[in-house]
Amino acid sequence: MFRLQGSKTLAVDLTGDAVRAKNGSMVAYDGRMSFKKMSGGGEGIRGMVTRRLTGEQLTVMEVSGQGTCYFADRASEINLVALHGDTLYVEASNLLATDAGLRTGTTFTGLRGGASGNGLFTTTVEGTGQAAIMSDGTAVLLRVSPRYPLMVDPGAYIAHQGRLQQSFQAGVNFRTLMGEGSGEAFQIRFEGEGLVYVQPSERNTVGGDV
Amino acid sequence: MSTPVVLDPTTLPSDDNVNSYTFCVELKGSRWFLQKGKMIAYYGQIQFDGIGHGRFERLVRSSFHSPLHASDWVVAEGSGKMLLADRAFDVNSFDLEDGNLTIRSGNLLAYQPTMALKQSIVPGFVTLIGTGKFVAASNGPVVFMEPPLRVDPQALVGWADCPSPCHHYDHGYMTGVMGGIRSLTGIGGTSGEEHQFEFVGAGTVLLQSSEALMAEQAAGAVPNEPGVPGGGGQPGSAPRMPGQLGDLQRRFGW
Repeated sequence: MFRLQGSKTLAVDLTGDAVRAKNGSMVAYDGRMSFKKMSGGGEGIRGMVTRRLTGEQLTVMEVSGQGTCYFADRASEINLVALHGDTLYVEASNLLATDAGLRTGTTFTGLRGGASGNGLFTTTVEGTGQAAIMSDGTAVLLRVSPRYPLMVDPGAYIAHQGRLQQSFQAGVNFRTLMGEGSGEAFQIRFEGEGLVYVQPSERNTVGGDV
Repeated sequence: MSTPVVLDPTTLPSDDNVNSYTFCVELKGSRWFLQKGKMIAYYGQIQFDGIGHGRFERLVRSSFHSPLHASDWVVAEGSGKMLLADRAFDVNSFDLEDGNLTIRSGNLLAYQPTMALKQSIVPGFVTLIGTGKFVAASNGPVVFMEPPLRVDPQALVGWADCPSPCHHYDHGYMTGVMGGIRSLTGIGGTSGEEHQFEFVGAGTVLLQSSEALMAEQAAGAVPNEPGVPGGGGQPGSAPRMPGQLGDLQRRFGW
């Protein structure tokens, strides 16, 4: 039911069911649609409080009706992710839309978030259905397996799914402090079995410029 | 829904583009020079070291000639595959065979140390000399053109094997009383295309298909000597005598 119209517009065909999307991301629709703002991302009072506390803000609307609704946000490239009972971890700012049947929540990411300038928390999407995530430029999808761990620049990371452990790898030494650092002092190391989405652009990060 | 391509070290290309915005470099115990902060992900064992570090002293001496610019470059060393990208600009690799190429310093992402990187006489540009591969970014795909031609300053990415460009002004349009008024006030309309770079001779000129510039990357200061463009001690920079209107005078054709 999610499909791409070009690479920067998401088209969702609705037949009486609903989809959740980033507030204000609708660009066009045909048919009959109703838009309802979901306070706190539709996660109830507890979710609302958690989001407020964690800074992982997500303003979501629920779109329901009959027809096709088109979503886009600042000409970002859109990637579709199919979930089959597993969990997608994504930065709130990169999440465009999810099936109404998927549960969203927040989770603690540990030190990585601190370095990537995205806060210490990230958004999780769980269940079975589809989600659309955004990237600045065409995202690259990389597989992580026990044989091949992956190191990612915190500014280029957008999402991951699967059973992955992430750890924070710092190559800071006295040269970094003397202004002769490599610019690649912080990396997230992914190990286990899963997929990582990387965008060809770096957000401004606290760690990225060291 | 098309299934996205999942890549791992066995399916990633070697020294080629993954998509138009991402380039994959394969290291097998070899080294590459990278601009700081352009690595987005890697597999394998790769170390990143700021140059100007003792271990790379010899390498820097043979393939790096912009001493004051050294802190913006990194040496990647090891084995594995790494992905390079820059703010979602188009990236492309080019091969240079015993040649020279001058490029806007912000557009050069990475190069093999088999080539020497030198500061160009043209401010803001760097020159690569030798044989090897380099990766450059551009806003929109790169177009290759042959001189003689005139190009818009904002569209110029670099040039290979041909002499340095010179400025070209549409003189009839820019001088005289009307030209002065147009230029100072904008009344009467300027097309924004009165000034170009002119290339002559044999070679190739690289253009990007937009006029959005990449962020300027410091190419390093030049020695403060007379005769060095951009350096101090320039003739003609003496204070103007009172009573002269200088540029304004020339502009209005008095």
